[in-house]
Amino acid sequence: MGSAELQRLVRTRKVVVCCGAGGVGKTTTAAALALAAARDGRRVLVLTIDPARRLAQALGIREHMKEPTPIPEALLRDAGVTTGSLDAWMLNPDVVFHGLVHRLATSPAQADRIIASRLFRHLSELVAGMQEYTAAEALYELSSSGRYDLVVLDTPPARNALDFLEAPGKLARFLDERILGLFLPSSRGGLFKKATELISSVFTKVFGGEFFTEIQDFLGAFSGMFGPMRAHAEGVRKLLTSGESAFLLVTSPDQAALDDARYFRDRIKAMGLPFAGFILNRSWVRTDGFIAPELLTPDDLPAARSGLEKLRSLARVELERAERDQKLLAQLASEVPSSAFAIAAPYLGEAIEDVRGLTLLARGILETPAAA
Amino acid sequence: MRLTELPLKRVIIVTGKGGVGKTTLTAALARRLGAQGKRVLCAEIVPLAETPSQLSAVLGGPRPTEDPIAVTSNVWVTLLTPAVGHLRFLQDSLPVRLLADAAMRSQGLKKFLAAAPGFSDMGVMYRMLDLVRRRQPSGAPAYDHCIIDSPATGHALALAQIPEFLARVIPGGPIARAAKDGLALLTDPDHTGALIVTLPETLPVTEALELKAGLGRHRFPVTSVVVNRVPVNPFSNEEHSAVRSMLPSDGRNVFGARELKRIERGAAALSLLEERARGAFVPLSEVPGAGQAAAENLIGLL
Repeated sequence: MGSAELQRLVRTRKVVVCCGAGGVGKTTTAAALALAAARDGRRVLVLTIDPARRLAQALGIREHMKEPTPIPEALLRDAGVTTGSLDAWMLNPDVVFHGLVHRLATSPAQADRIIASRLFRHLSELVAGMQEYTAAEALYELSSSGRYDLVVLDTPPARNALDFLEAPGKLARFLDERILGLFLPSSRGGLFKKATELISSVFTKVFGGEFFTEIQDFLGAFSGMFGPMRAHAEGVRKLLTSGESAFLLVTSPDQAALDDARYFRDRIKAMGLPFAGFILNRSWVRTDGFIAPELLTPDDLPAARSGLEKLRSLARVELERAERDQKLLAQLASEVPSSAFAIAAPYLGEAIEDVRGLTLLARGILETPAAA
Repeated sequence: MRLTELPLKRVIIVTGKGGVGKTTLTAALARRLGAQGKRVLCAEIVPLAETPSQLSAVLGGPRPTEDPIAVTSNVWVTLLTPAVGHLRFLQDSLPVRLLADAAMRSQGLKKFLAAAPGFSDMGVMYRMLDLVRRRQPSGAPAYDHCIIDSPATGHALALAQIPEFLARVIPGGPIARAAKDGLALLTDPDHTGALIVTLPETLPVTEALELKAGLGRHRFPVTSVVVNRVPVNPFSNEEHSAVRSMLPSDGRNVFGARELKRIERGAAALSLLEERARGAFVPLSEVPGAGQAAAENLIGLL
């Protein structure tokens, strides 16, 4: 188990999802794994949310792109990709949502009516809430399009990733006609009527009558689409819970990130999603090939001797970190089920911002020995 | 200049990318201001009250809940959840309290509020306003400072946009009024100021400056950029160049050299900031320890 197992996942699964707290390096890990799969000859897409700008530039991804874009061939050749391919896309909630409406509407006229409505235009502005829906939707759509062997997804930052995991189910619940029906004018009586009246009275008071009517019209415009949308949500859930997907938890050695990673792991398992393992990113675990400062020969200058002494104390700091991270890795390895792994990715110093850096990281992740 | 010498506002939004130390800074700043005799509430935005609290892990004290609880005689902590905001909003805007409670018990409404995009941020914002406006029996504000630990960059921007968005989309009724109040408070430089936390590396510093510009476009006041975990440079200039010339050029790695490079990158990032932000930033040295120990070590620097 370990790097070999991760290599196997990257070669065989259809979906790999990278989760974790913000700032642990999910995007670079996702991109590095995608690159590794492309080197293995697969047709790969990496879907990202918010890549660091220089990494995005290096990969040729821009904001507001309408669809996935191939990484320039020359770059891929240099990274050792021959028969495989690598596309990248920075998720655009607007585009994904428009696509969804067009595909699922019962007629083009219905799609136009929804998209032209004032509420829809405003809805897609609220990117914070929309990212989670659209990430799940785009993942499903692109993964089942037949264009890719593997889709690697970089989930929204921090705890919103949980919203992403819950998005398909939540959408299905939201689109439950019995619930939506409460908002729509109804001729039914009894308890149902009472509930409708309560909601309508609350909403009219809270939103103002005008806006409540607008919501009703908006939801009314979706009628007939609920069935297909629920089927879609169910499809997303099936894909993510199937053996064709794998969830990786990326963490840094930082305590808060570790706590989050463990929390995510429990949630992932509770939701029946296939947890593959931990990647301890930016770790100092690897010490092979490093020499001690004692082996350097100082010049005769006094500054050289005192400087070297200070370098030694920095070396001690690094060694303490290496020891700490080795313990951490062993700890994580002991916490995963036998089918999962804990792998250390090396601390590479600078921010990774080009394909060369990604290649180094991929090698670091896929070729290091895992904890015993 | 020290962080506490800056004109800190009543509403302090701590924002920045993940992993830069926002939560540790929130905890340390709350304790520092509390020790100076200020009444401080620190709040963490979480989706559900059951979510484990990162803030509590570094702040210590009792487990936070949706109602503020005291950590020390001057410091309170709370969880900002969408649900409590929704309830407070309904209680404030519906004529009968019973109706609000009944509405919150309605599965239909609950699901709508939980699933409709934008509504959870609205709930968080409403709860924030509610706490900021709290008064003591004497009429004085309940808290001198409310420090909000905002989960991610995108989130702060989203929070900044919400009142504006709501005011545009929903023309009338209590939501529109709440949105207008929210907008007025969040854009009032006498009341609100964000602290943008970042790390001493070129890319994070560039992103922090972009976030500052982005918040500025929404008229959201920024008090300062805070550069966290600046590595301490033990080398004199002569020592530095002597060590540099000793490092092997044949690709062999030396223990200590990665730390040396990190110190160099930190210095470069600070000079970039010096040039682009003209000194409008506060550097904080790296402190030893993790979790609560790190927060305690940070207090002395604030």
